[in-house]
Amino acid sequence: MLRILVRRFIEVVIFVLVITFISFLFVRLAPGDPVLSILQVDDVSITNEQVNELREELGFNDPLFVQYGDWFADFIQLDFGNSYLTNQPVMEMIMSGLPATLELAVGALLVMLGIAIPLGSLAALYRGSWIDQISRAVSLLGAAIPSFWLGLLLMDLFAVRWGALPTMGRDGFRSLILPSVTLGLAITSVYVRLLRSSLIDSLSHDFIRAARSRGISEMRIFFAHAFRYSLPPVITVFGVSLGSLIGGVVVIEVIFAYPGIGKMVVDSIRSRDYPVIQGYLLVMAIVVFMVNSAVDLSYRYLNPELRLKERKHGKWS
Amino acid sequence: MFRKSKSIFIVCLSFFLLAACSTESAKEQVGREKEVNLLFNFATSSLDPNVDTSYVSLRAGMTETLVHLNDEDLTIEPWLAKSWDSKDGQLWNFKLREGVTFQNGRPMDGKAVKASLERAMKDSPAIKNALRIESIEADGNALTIKTEVPFPEFPSELVHPNTSIIDVKESDYINKPIGTGPFAVSKFMPGTAVDLIRYESYWDGAAKLERARFSFNEDANARSLALESGDADIVFRPEVESLENLEAIDGVKVESTSTFRVHQMTMNLERKALQDIHVRKAIDALIDRSSIADTILHGHAEVAAGPFPSTFSFAPDYPKKENGMEAARGFLDQAGYKKVDGVMQKDGKPLTFTLLTYSSRADLPLIAQVFQSDAGQLGIDVKIKQIEIPEEYMAANRDWDLTTYSNLTAPRGDAGYYLNATYHPKGALNFSGADDDHLTSLIDKLNVTVEQDKRSDLAEDIAMYVDEQVYNSFILHPNTLVAYDAEKVKNWITSRSEYYMLTNELDVK
Repeated sequence: MLRILVRRFIEVVIFVLVITFISFLFVRLAPGDPVLSILQVDDVSITNEQVNELREELGFNDPLFVQYGDWFADFIQLDFGNSYLTNQPVMEMIMSGLPATLELAVGALLVMLGIAIPLGSLAALYRGSWIDQISRAVSLLGAAIPSFWLGLLLMDLFAVRWGALPTMGRDGFRSLILPSVTLGLAITSVYVRLLRSSLIDSLSHDFIRAARSRGISEMRIFFAHAFRYSLPPVITVFGVSLGSLIGGVVVIEVIFAYPGIGKMVVDSIRSRDYPVIQGYLLVMAIVVFMVNSAVDLSYRYLNPELRLKERKHGKWS
Repeated sequence: MFRKSKSIFIVCLSFFLLAACSTESAKEQVGREKEVNLLFNFATSSLDPNVDTSYVSLRAGMTETLVHLNDEDLTIEPWLAKSWDSKDGQLWNFKLREGVTFQNGRPMDGKAVKASLERAMKDSPAIKNALRIESIEADGNALTIKTEVPFPEFPSELVHPNTSIIDVKESDYINKPIGTGPFAVSKFMPGTAVDLIRYESYWDGAAKLERARFSFNEDANARSLALESGDADIVFRPEVESLENLEAIDGVKVESTSTFRVHQMTMNLERKALQDIHVRKAIDALIDRSSIADTILHGHAEVAAGPFPSTFSFAPDYPKKENGMEAARGFLDQAGYKKVDGVMQKDGKPLTFTLLTYSSRADLPLIAQVFQSDAGQLGIDVKIKQIEIPEEYMAANRDWDLTTYSNLTAPRGDAGYYLNATYHPKGALNFSGADDDHLTSLIDKLNVTVEQDKRSDLAEDIAMYVDEQVYNSFILHPNTLVAYDAEKVKNWITSRSEYYMLTNELDVK
């Protein structure tokens, strides 16, 4: 276990170095720079000389490797710099937005689990029945309805017509419900179908027939054997979803004015706020890496075959 | 297993019941206190008045500037500064209002204002460039400011929200700036809202509201729904398509006020075809302004004759121009173009334009399409190219002819900003590449003219000259839309500058 953790740590260091360098190149090679935004050219009378002076001052005229070197020198001292536009420390900005995005992602995943597990399980158990048809319809609708439209519909129903929930903001648990449900419903469709097909596959295995022949109850066979066996592919997609959820909840954050990092980074990209973009990419890379590592480790506990294979090959003591 | 599911079901049910109860209690509380919730269309993660480009601290009544823009006659007037004068436009004497205190009780005196302005210039390169201050001296309630060069529009630059005066001794600028306005911050939720509480010792009389919330949502549909649900009392820029629904709600009032913004057709004068004034006049004649204002902006716009809205003292009375397809054809005829096989051409070369547009202002791509269609009827092929950041693209590339561009023209009541930025060869927004000696000398003259009347006359002359030369073509001034619950909100004024929103006069019935 320790060896695996050490290996993972080395991997993460290499991964961070590569990702920061590549992202730095991409961000800087994209056309434009933040100077026009910093100088508020659309509001303050600025001359071209002033634009060039600031460009020089911020080092944008330096070679790319020099710019990366400067950034990296600060980075190893854990200084991620300040936003060009708001002067706020980048880490402070990310850390103030990250909890909101994480709680939105977790809320959405809970909603997804609450729908996908029962619906996917029932669809697998009663294949071809009306419940299977319903699960198919839910999946199709979930995949077809755009999140922003669903969000507005839910807002209209729960906030305007029923007055039960707030339309926006991050003001306690109640304000988390509508965005979580919107986001959760949007990702449910994938899991319902995935769980269904994975369960059908595992129910057809020999060990299920063997369990039945031993007289174990159907309920126990389903939950203790088939369900557990069907989880690894679902969890793999789950890991990917969590990464994309954290990075891609922008539309939901905008509609519900939920102050996460998704919207923050889109604004930063729009105004070429390099330190914020760079800091965000780094944090996201680490989060996604950690989630994927956790997913990898979870396979061992869900799939006994993997543990057996590893024991045979002497990987575990 | 089933017992567990039952427990989860009961927990969920209790949660929803509790949620419903808390909604009731929140609504009851709103009824008891004099407060409003204003929903604005830009979010901010920082309240720093000297840096934040959403200008929330000024708009929400937390901070004030030395100079105020009068929304009715569009002139500048005293605010934290009682008076000012300068003989040469370079050395300025300001007298501050007496008896003004910051929200922490400290006096707003010359020393505090000097420290605040110096901090603004240090932290904001934009403000440093806008103010061009060389030195500030403070003596009691008097300030002597020397600018780097003679700078006659200096007082009007002090209208800029980023020059807000704050107590720099309190350093939590991001979450709790201390200003002199009628409302102080009680809680800031970055990206969501700022809760405000009345500042009892406000110099102009304590606010009528006890509390206020200034919240943000960038989605226009969601803002309309917030007004419908009662979550917000005043909503900025609701979706134009939702206006009928909103107006149908009892008590909801929609106000449509013209702004200092102009949607224009920027012309690249470095392109050969556009160097001919008749071609530029043809483009100008082809723009069907009334139809664009009526169909694309649903009537919530003023047709533009020039860059400055007609209410400004420096907006000239332009001579009536020939408009429409026939007029455009006539101008092209004068430029030597003939229609051959349905294509407008000169010396065998067809007249084609590359028209840039961008989506951050949703009406601009639509205007581009209308122009493309009208030009097509005349035999001009217009290729529309969608770009992301117009300022960057236009500055770095010259492979375009026209751009639908939106520009603020006189945000602080003076024409100097727009004319310098857009028509001076050194201006950072001179994307047309205008380099006309006569025009430059007129702008240079404006830049050393101190007297306000003379400045207005000169700005009027420059606007007239730009119009004669058709260096750019002006389409319309879009309106600001505000919807609010008129049964609850009292004394709301939709300011044209959009600088002043929560005031000490704002009240609830």
